Parts: sequence; C-alpha cells; structure tokens
Amino acid sequence: MIAENKKTPAARYGMTIDVDRCNGCGSCMVACAVENNVPPAAAAATDRTGLTWIRVFKIDNGAEGTERRSAFVPVLCQHCGKDAPCVSVCPQQAVDVDPATGIVGQMPERCLGCRYCMAACPYHARYFNWWDPTWPAGMEKTLNPDVAPRMRGVVEKCNFCHGRWHAAKAKAVANGNTAIDPADYIPACVEACPSGAIHFGDLNDPATETARSAHLPDSFRMLESLATDPKIYYRSKKNWVREISRAPRPGLGKENSRG
Amino acid sequence: MRNRRDIFKFAGGAVAGAFFTPAPWRLLTDTALWSENWPGISRPARGEIRYKFTNCALCPAGCAVRARCVGDQPVSLAGVGGGLCPFGLTAHHLPYHPARLKQGPIQQATAAVSQKAAQLAPGAIAVLDLNPGRTVSWTYRRAMASLKGLYLTPESHPVAYDLSAAKTVLSIGAPLLDGWGTPANVLAARPNFRLIQAEAVESRTAMLADEWIRIAPGTESAFAQSIPSLAYAKDISLVLGDAPEIPEINRQLGAYGKTVFARPEAPVPESWIKNAAAVTELARVPDHSIGLLLIDESTAVSYIPWHQIQRKLVRENPLVVTFAVTRGGYARYTKYALPTAVYPEVLDDIAPAVDCVHPTFRIAVPLVPAPAGVMNPSDFVSALAGLSAANALRERADAVHHTAQGAILTYADAKQTSLKDLSADAFWKSLNDGARWDRPPGLSKWDRPPGLSSSAPAPRIPEPESSADLPLVAIRQPYTPALVSPLMTKIYQESNLRLAPNRVALHPADARASGVSNGARAILQTRIGKCAVEVTVDPAVPPGAVQVGASPGIQDVCGPSSRVKVVSV
Repeated sequence: MIAENKKTPAARYGMTIDVDRCNGCGSCMVACAVENNVPPAAAAATDRTGLTWIRVFKIDNGAEGTERRSAFVPVLCQHCGKDAPCVSVCPQQAVDVDPATGIVGQMPERCLGCRYCMAACPYHARYFNWWDPTWPAGMEKTLNPDVAPRMRGVVEKCNFCHGRWHAAKAKAVANGNTAIDPADYIPACVEACPSGAIHFGDLNDPATETARSAHLPDSFRMLESLATDPKIYYRSKKNWVREISRAPRPGLGKENSRG
Repeated sequence: MRNRRDIFKFAGGAVAGAFFTPAPWRLLTDTALWSENWPGISRPARGEIRYKFTNCALCPAGCAVRARCVGDQPVSLAGVGGGLCPFGLTAHHLPYHPARLKQGPIQQATAAVSQKAAQLAPGAIAVLDLNPGRTVSWTYRRAMASLKGLYLTPESHPVAYDLSAAKTVLSIGAPLLDGWGTPANVLAARPNFRLIQAEAVESRTAMLADEWIRIAPGTESAFAQSIPSLAYAKDISLVLGDAPEIPEINRQLGAYGKTVFARPEAPVPESWIKNAAAVTELARVPDHSIGLLLIDESTAVSYIPWHQIQRKLVRENPLVVTFAVTRGGYARYTKYALPTAVYPEVLDDIAPAVDCVHPTFRIAVPLVPAPAGVMNPSDFVSALAGLSAANALRERADAVHHTAQGAILTYADAKQTSLKDLSADAFWKSLNDGARWDRPPGLSKWDRPPGLSSSAPAPRIPEPESSADLPLVAIRQPYTPALVSPLMTKIYQESNLRLAPNRVALHPADARASGVSNGARAILQTRIGKCAVEVTVDPAVPPGAVQVGASPGIQDVCGPSSRVKVVSV
C-alpha cells in the first residue's frame, strides 16, 4: 500500500493500553467512529453485527458475590507483524502490512466480502458491513473528508487512523522533513481518552513513552503464543486481568452480555 | 506451411493458457474495484480545514473544545488539554438528530402565556431552570422579579468540591470518575487522594477506586449515617453523594471551607442583583400554587420527575410551556413544547462546575447556525416581562472585566493574559474565540451554604417501602443528556458498553424469577407508575436490585432506591 521510504528508518507504530486506568467511558469508540466515518448502527444491528473498530469489553475475575471485580479492555486490530493471519488468507490482496509503518491496512475497494480474514483473525477485531452506510439527513455534512465511507459487503477494521498518518506525512514533507513529528500523528482514540489510558508511538523509537511502557514488567500482549507479533501492548498490575492474554476475546463465553 | 487450422489451434491454446496466468485474476480484482464504487454512498464534503475553539455546553464541566471544520462545518471535536466524554465528542451531530424538535406553536404559546399571565395573581407564575448558574438564569430571575413570579431550580444552594485539597474521599454512589466533574480536573487531582467508593454495584468509579465497599441496594442513607462511627472517619476529608445526610456529615467532618464551598459564580452587573427574584428550590414551593410554569430544559443537566412538578401546579387549568430540544422530556406532558437551539448552535455561557471552587466564565459560541423555526427561551421570558436581555452575555462579560481580577486562558495558543492587560472588547473577543476566565480562589470568600445551619435537624431516613409486591430495588445510572448523537449506538447497541437510557439490567436469577430474558421487552412497575423497558441480563448486578437507565420515562416513575418490579410482556 505504501512504498517503503528508503531515507527514513521504518517505523513500527504501536499502542500501550493501561487497563488499570480505563473507566470504560466509550470515548475511544465514538471518537474512532467520528474519525473514520463509521455510520450509526442500522436498526437491526446487534453487538454481533455492529461496526466498532475499537471495542471496549467488560471482563471480570470470575468470582461471585463480594469478591467479584471487573475491568474494561479496549480491543482493536492488534496490527500483527509480517505474518498477520488476515494477510495470508485474503484472496484479493486487500490486506497488507505496510513495511514503512508496520500498520496492517485494509483496502475495502479490493475486498470481495468473503470474510476469510474475519475467520482467521484470532482477536475478532474485523467487522463486516452488513448494511449500506447511512447517516441521518444532514449528518453526512459532518463526515471526515480524509476518509472514504465503505460500502456494504466489505470488511473493515482499525488502521491507526491512516488519514491522520497521511496528513502528518504531508505536513512533514511540506516542512522539508522525511520523518513525521510524533505530535502530528495521534489516532483519534488516543486523543479522545479522558483518562490517558492509551499511548501511541513508534515502538522502534526507544525515546517514546509507548516503547518504554511496552517493556515494563506489567506489560503483556494478547495471544502471544500464536506468534502473531501484535503491536498493541496492554498493561495491568492485576494478575486476573493479565489472564486475558490467553483468551481468544475478553469476556467471551461469559453470561455477561455487556461489552 | 501454417494453415488456418493452426491459427485456430494457436488462438484456442492462448485462451486456455491465459487462465493459467495472473491476468484474469487481476481483472477480477479490478472488476471488484469498479463494482464497489457505489453512487449511493455519502461523499464527505471537501474544503479548507480550519480549527475553531469553544466550550462544551452539554454540562457544567464546560470542557475546552477544539472543533475541526471543513469550511464552517465542524467535522470532529476534540478536547483541549485532555479528552472529552463520548457525549461531548459527538455533540456536532446533535443538530441533525432525527428526534430533534424543530417546529413548535410559538405564536400560539406566546398569546396563551400573555393571556394567562394577565389573569394570575403574584406568585403563581414561575420559571423552572434546569441548568441554573448561567447568564440566562439571571435573565429569568430579573423577569420573575418584574412579574412577581418565582425562579425555581432543582437545588437552591449548590456547592463545589475541591478535590485537590482532599486526602481521602468517601463517595456514596457518586460517579466521581464517570462524568461527575470536569474530567481533566478530576484526573489531575486523582493521584493525590485516596478514593473509597461505597456502592451496591461495581460502577466505573468503584472499579478504579482504591477501595470499594459493597453496600446493600437502597441503604445509602443508612451507610451515610454510620460514617461518623467508622474507624477511619477522622481521615475522611470529603463525602460525596446524593443521600440527604451528606451535607450535615461534611459539616461534622469539618469539610466546609476546606474541601466544600458554596459554588461560586462569575460576577454579574450590580443592577441585576438588585432586581432579581430569589432562587427557590422547587420542593419548597407550596403544592397546587403555580398557574403558569415555563420550563427551560433546553440545556438541562438534571431531570425532575414530572409528578413532582405536577404536584406544584394548580388543579384548575394550569398552563405549562417547555423549551426543549426533543419531545422526549416534559414535552410529553405540556400543552406547548417550543423548539430551541442546541449546542453547538447556541451562544450561551456555562454554569459553574461542581469541582471548580473559584469563579470562572466561559461561553459556548455557535459553530453552526440554528435552523429557522427555533426560538430563544431568554427572548421569550424577557419579552413577557418587558425586559431587554439581548446583550445580557456581553453585559456579564463587561461586569467580569470590570473587576480587573484574574486572567484569561486562550485555547488556540494556550496563553494566559491578565485581565488588567485587556480592554473590554479584547476580553469579549477572546471569549468568543475560545477561552476561559478564572479568578484565583484566594480572592473569594468561602462559607457554608446558607441553607445548612450548625443546628441542622437530624436527617430523616425514608421509610422503606413494602417489598411484598415490588421485590427489587432500583439503582439509577448517572444522568445523560436528553439528546445524544446517533453514533452513541456504538456504546448502547453495538457493544452494550453502557446501559442504554431505556434499558434495565437484572441479575440472572432475578431475570428468571421475573420471566424475562436478555434483550426482551418488559414493563418496569413502581408505586408511581410503569413504563416500557428493554432488559439486559448481567451477573454483575447484585441479586434483588435492578439497574435502571436514565431516560425521562424511567425517571418519571422510578427514583433512586425505589422498589420496583419487572414484568414480562
């Protein structure tokens, strides 16, 4: 999708999410939808058929009564490494890993809607457009001009707000730079989080807060045993929260229907 | 020698062989490209990108907002110096909400109100302000003084809390970390105080508290009364919550003047103070005494159940007019519902925040024009009293400027300028470009709220209702604005992250006993009435309790700790 820039060392953009700070307000979810022109739900949409590029799940420690404790875990595309499962299964070459940024991109114009990538994604972070994207009359004026709405019948997912990456790159080029100023490229969910639980940056740059906190002792990634090399790092000091690193999806299979 | 048959064989072979090359498959991909460029899909408008700054008017937190605009049209909102809540982030969608009220019988209502006002005795006209503390609130007070009417609010002596001065905060069900105050202020103070949350459910605040005390549903008042006898009572610097005992407990703990203060307002012109009606709490108005009631719910930050309002109206032919942005609130009961502008269409100032102990002055500026057909409640009420209030906001800003105290922070450049260095016009222009004025707390006088004397009588614990026919206790969710963006389906419908305003959540055992299942429609029944709800089954809800959404329909029949029953339909 994006040709590797030989003058600039390749970045490896990633996130750290501090689960112990997340209060589950949902600001990240709506900020993502605003930024990426994700439409409001159709009347028949449910929590299984909706479009939420980032989705906050409520998990608990499994105890009953007074010992029960809960936490919120935002889950988005984990932006796996070069062996991302969704890339290898796509028959249309509609998914790729950008070597310049490490971002797993999705090209809806190429997508045929076979949903192999959804089946292959171990994080269930891909969503299918079951309905035409529609907005209430007049609200289409509020769409972000940097992102094209997707059509019915294609898969979509988080791309670390690629429109913002393009804008930051254009600004850097206009200023005569090859590298992006980190302050110019911040995904919408990071910007929106009122509790400062999400940090974003280049994991290859040891000076960034993201790179530093990714290697703290309380940091972990989901399903590391699958060797998908995800670039989303979670943090928690609670052992039972860290157990989600072994679950296919937080809260899956629980009777709790929230999240 | 090649013959014609060889030419056909070569052509046939070429066609067959082409299927073994990438060419037809690439063609298929490109066909997908063409077929999926559908003309019915909305195309975002393009234009020059600009940034405007304002303050969010959805609640008294009044967060600083940066609006990204294409031309003059806002396409996204972001916080300045911190994040925003999901309601504030999507407020630029509100003007286009399908449920928005855009037309109303303004002329008929004006005639009916004028006629009614002429017939009524003094004291029978009232304005109920559901977002007090704004400049328009002073207009209402002046109008009511002129008409010898009443200016009503949900509470008469609001207080403000200084979290930065607190070492230990005991919250009894207050959503401290979930929209209670200004998010940036609360988060800045959070590392410096210990938070104990006493609540029946593990709310968002309870999850992040240092300690969660799980109390039985409906026992908030009893727990509040037990605070002075707690072993760690002397360490508590502040108690938060809605229980009626809490002001007296804060007094006993010595919190007044340290962490609790009378909520300060920005200065107002002297002439307004001299000619303003007193602030009266709705609950203190005699029953059946109001003949004409004007309700401003256009920017409401709280909801009073309709039966509590109705009790104050005269029995014979009362006239109630509501200024609203949706039909979902009091418009269901009133004769006239008049449409008003909605944030971000309005020019309005922000009421003082609950967590700000020094005077501030901030205004929300219109980012988009209001549609034809909506009206300004301030104009309506001031015209009724023969007042001129068109420039009230500017007069207030001039009164603030006249003090020559404090400083203004402009959001575009994060620059702080002393008020002494600005002319009145420059101050007004800065406010309109996105700024906030603050006066340092040292310049204010703090005192206990006038309504709380040192010899306050012991608070009364409400008698528990019978549980024979209503087996569950209601736990109410934090207030949500009357009108929210259509995109809130992301957290209400597509993920169930938050309990939607029209839903209730039950423990699985209670759901089985009530005969309802997840997603089912049901009736919520209380002593006052009943309303239709949808059910969420959630094991995190304690048995014997039901979490209820914050829709006006539910609040009309179900107060905090009400006994309720969920009936399947």
